[in-house]
Parts: sequence; structure tokens; C-alpha cells
Amino acid sequence: MDPGRVSHPMSSPSPCSKAETDEEIAFRRATEPWPEDATLYQQLKGEQILLSDNASSLAVQAFLQMCELPIKVVCRANAEYMSPSGKVPFIHVGNQVVSELGPIVQFVKAKGHSLSDGLDEVQKAEMKAYMELVNNMLLTAELYLQWCDEATVGEITHSRYGFPYPWPLNHILAYQKQWEVKRKMKAIGWGNKTLDQVLEDVDQCCQALSQRLGTQPYFFNKQPTELDALVFGHLFTILTTQLTSDELSDKEPGEKRKTTYFVLGSEWLHL
Amino acid sequence: MADKSFVGGIREPRQGLVRVIRRGRSGWGGGRVALERSEVSPKLAPHFGFRLSEAERRGGGHFRGTRGRGGGKMAAPLELRCWGGGWGLPSVHSESLVVLAYAKFSGAPLKVSVIDNTWRGSRGDVPILTSEDNIVSQPAKILNFLRKQKYNADYQLSAKQGADTLAYIALLEEKLLPAVLHTFWIENDNYFTVTKPWFASRIPFPLSLILPGRMSKRALNRILLTKGEPPHYHLKEVEAQIYRDAKECLNLLSNRLGTSQFFFGNTPTTLDAYVFGFVAPLYKVHFPKVQLQEHVKQLSNLCRFCDDILSCYFRISLADG
Repeated sequence: MDPGRVSHPMSSPSPCSKAETDEEIAFRRATEPWPEDATLYQQLKGEQILLSDNASSLAVQAFLQMCELPIKVVCRANAEYMSPSGKVPFIHVGNQVVSELGPIVQFVKAKGHSLSDGLDEVQKAEMKAYMELVNNMLLTAELYLQWCDEATVGEITHSRYGFPYPWPLNHILAYQKQWEVKRKMKAIGWGNKTLDQVLEDVDQCCQALSQRLGTQPYFFNKQPTELDALVFGHLFTILTTQLTSDELSDKEPGEKRKTTYFVLGSEWLHL
Repeated sequence: MADKSFVGGIREPRQGLVRVIRRGRSGWGGGRVALERSEVSPKLAPHFGFRLSEAERRGGGHFRGTRGRGGGKMAAPLELRCWGGGWGLPSVHSESLVVLAYAKFSGAPLKVSVIDNTWRGSRGDVPILTSEDNIVSQPAKILNFLRKQKYNADYQLSAKQGADTLAYIALLEEKLLPAVLHTFWIENDNYFTVTKPWFASRIPFPLSLILPGRMSKRALNRILLTKGEPPHYHLKEVEAQIYRDAKECLNLLSNRLGTSQFFFGNTPTTLDAYVFGFVAPLYKVHFPKVQLQEHVKQLSNLCRFCDDILSCYFRISLADG
């Protein structure tokens, strides 16, 4: 497959894309309406799901709630293996299966629902950049804490990850996943980081988000966007998950603005 | 000249003179000599292929002031080890270019030591900044270190702009870096005709047979582990995706830059250094497979941005070659 030949709307260099008219959006919504039985799959909530997966799942749920699309959450022990990309959460809509927040946002947009239509080009670029920042820093830090910090791994992660499986499968799968995550950390240059450096990065990321949020209710205008959903998912999980070391959640309390924001976010999920 | 008589000879070590120890075969590379650093006189040090730090120079005693620097307090000299330049760029390696650009923007006096095919110095994990006792290795850490030494290019930025910088750097690393790595190290035509010969010519034999391959493998690993899907990591599936992401990222950068000279007003900052470091090699290096380069060339403001930085900040090295 020649990468150069793939034509994609974003591959043309013209900076402005025309905003969709209301008729086009209505047309899309009419031809492929959002079904009532759309489901979101994740791992078992109480015993199996880990910090990073919980954050991602919550982000998707928040996003769908913000779009006012009904979704049912189903917990399955093998959700990770059912997913087309190996990552949770994934949604099953009609006869399509889409996983991860990025593709889900695009899928939902193709159905005619979008939260970021009102943004201009520069704001859209900023939104994408901040989403990458959250993925790059917060998500990777969560993964690091779960899988590379020996204390957490021993006490929490191993037992949770292998929960549904009999011995010795639970140990084997947990070790395999840990090896995979460690390999990824090494490839992106996080392999040599100590826990303190990781927490410093998290701190920097939170400062940046706090600066960007300022005193507004949401990141852009008065309406929530997918960035708000993503940040909410991660913040909520970090603040409410009990780990062996409370250092991660200790980074958060100083940010008053983010706490208010997180309260707003909880309303969306009727928590 | 005094030093001629020392080369190849073995002398009793005396303070201020050179003790030359020949180790191993000297079949290639003009003779391999290993030197005791502590015994090298400051005047002769450059001839034997390394620089002394300021402390060592002062400790040499006899030659104090030879170079015209009297006593008095001086900032610790900063030495950067990085890959060399070509095609009009000061460095072909993205990360080295980021550090070089930032140093120019912030006015840090860096001594750049380019990796060449002698055996001195290390070439793993480049760029590396050495300053007295500190050795700092990745671009983010090097920039942090320079800021702590008061070489800060971002002092005019507001807190929100600082946050934007962090976000855009994350965007660059997620979306553009995989495509840059792919263009340089994985695309077969590019790798075998341009990248590998260029790097191999700057690495001494026999390391030149091993190191480029290892760097290529590391690039492939990075792309597959971050973009590929377990359990079977296949390159073909991700190639289309990473080029698409890269084009989108370039469009976003172009939108953000608009018509202004730099990303945040009229003075260059960290973000400009990063964008320059990633985009300039794509723009300038001549590759056989050029689809991403053509996309960059269509975004005229990014091209103008790179050319401006090259002509304003790297004018001296451009004149040389």
C-alpha cells in the first residue's frame, strides 16, 4: 500500500475546511441514526479494570454523554481481547466496532454529531495538541505507575489483571503484559525514568492544563469538547483511585480550578 | 614542532608532557592512540583530539592564559556532541538540530563537537551535553538544563503560551516524529541511498557496519510499539496511518504559524526550536521518496520559517558549507 496515494480529506494542504451546513448534518443523522442498543465494553469494574483503562473508558463515556448519545456499559472479562485494536474501551454500534477515543470521535462525527464544530482552525489545532499532551504525559505516566513501579505492580496490578483467570494463566498473562508495557516505555525513552521524574512530568502536564483552563468552565468557549471529556476521564480516575502510593493524586489537590471543573464533569455522568 | 616528537614514542611521564600509549593495531584511521588525560599539556590537547574542560586547563599550570583568557570567574563551558550537517543544515539529526536551534535562540555559548569517523567520544544516545561534571542526554533534559543555567528563550511567554508549547511539542512527538523516523530510517530507498551512507561515513569502521542498522531497528521499534497493534506488529498497516497523521500535523502547524515570523510573536522560543528540528530535515534533505517533502513544500509559511531561521541564526555555518 503506497502511503502517498491514500487520499484523505486532511491530506490536502489548504488550511480551511468548510464548516458543514445544518442540512448536511441533519442528512447524516437521518441516514444512519444512532441505535438505541449501542454498547460500550470494558473490563470488570470492581475487580479487574486498571487505572489507565478506567480513565480511557470514563473519557469515552463522558464524551458520549456530552453528545447526548445513549450508551450502555457492559463489563466483560475479555474486553481487551474483543477489541479490534487491543485497547479498551470499544463501542459496538449497529454492526460496527470502534475502539479508543480518537476513532470513536471520528466515527461519531461521521454520524453527524460533533462537539468541536464551533471551533475555528487554530482552536482545533490547540485542542488536538492538548489531547496529545494528555495522552503523551498522563496516560503514559499511568501506565508507568501501573506496570513499572514494583510496589504497585506487586500489590495491585498483577492480582487485578489476572483476576478472571485460573492459575497459572493469571501470572503468565500479567507478566506478558508487563513485559510488553516495559518494552514500549523503553522505546519511547521512559525506560530510565525514576518515579520522581514521572511525577514531575505529571505535575508539569497538570500545570499546563490548569493554565489553559484558566477560570472558564470548559477548555473552549462555553461548550464541552472531546478534550474536556478526555481530561475529565483521567483526572477523575487519578483522584479517586486508591493506589499504594498516593503521590499521583497528591499532585492534583492544589489546583482549585481543576477541582471545580471535575465537579462539573461529574454532573455529566450523573455520578 | 614539539608534538611531532611525541607521537609514537613512549616517554617517562612528566608533568606537562604527553604520555603516549599505543594500544592495539593501528591499521586504520591514522593511528589509534590512547592518552592519559591528566598528563596532557593544555597546549597540546587539541592536537590529540580532545578538549580540556576549564578546570583541567587551569590545573595545567604552565600554560595559564595561553588562550587569552585570564583568571576570573567564567561560566562552565558547555560542549555539545551531535551529528553533523549537510544539505544546508547544521545537523541532519532531528534531536541534535532542536538543541542547536535552542542554543542559538537563547544565546547559550555551546561548543559543538561533531561526530566524525575517529574513535574519540561516544556516539550513542546523541545529542549529549557535557559541562564540568554534568552529562545530560535527551533534548528535553538538555533544554531544561540550559534553562537552569539561565539560557532561557521563553522568558517572554505567558503561562498560557508555555502550556501551549508543551501541548504542541507533544503533538509533534506523537504525530510528526514517527513519519520523520520512517522517512529517514525505514523507507528502503531513502535508507539505503541516503541515510545509511551518510551516517556510515561518519562512524569509524567496523562500527559503521553495525550502528546504522541498530539505529534503524530502534526507529522501527519505536514506530511499531507506539502505533502498531499487538500482538502482530505489522509495518504496512501503520505506514498509511503515520503519513496521514504527519500531513495533518503539518497542516495544523501551518495554520498555527499563519503569517507571523515565529510561533509566539517576533522572538523564537522552544516551540520554534522543536518545529525547526523536525521539519527542516524533511524539507532540506534530498530523498528519493519525497511525498512528505512535497507536502512540506506546499506549506509555504513553514518553508519560509525554516529558511528564515537558517539564514538568521545559522548564517556562519551556512557560509562554510
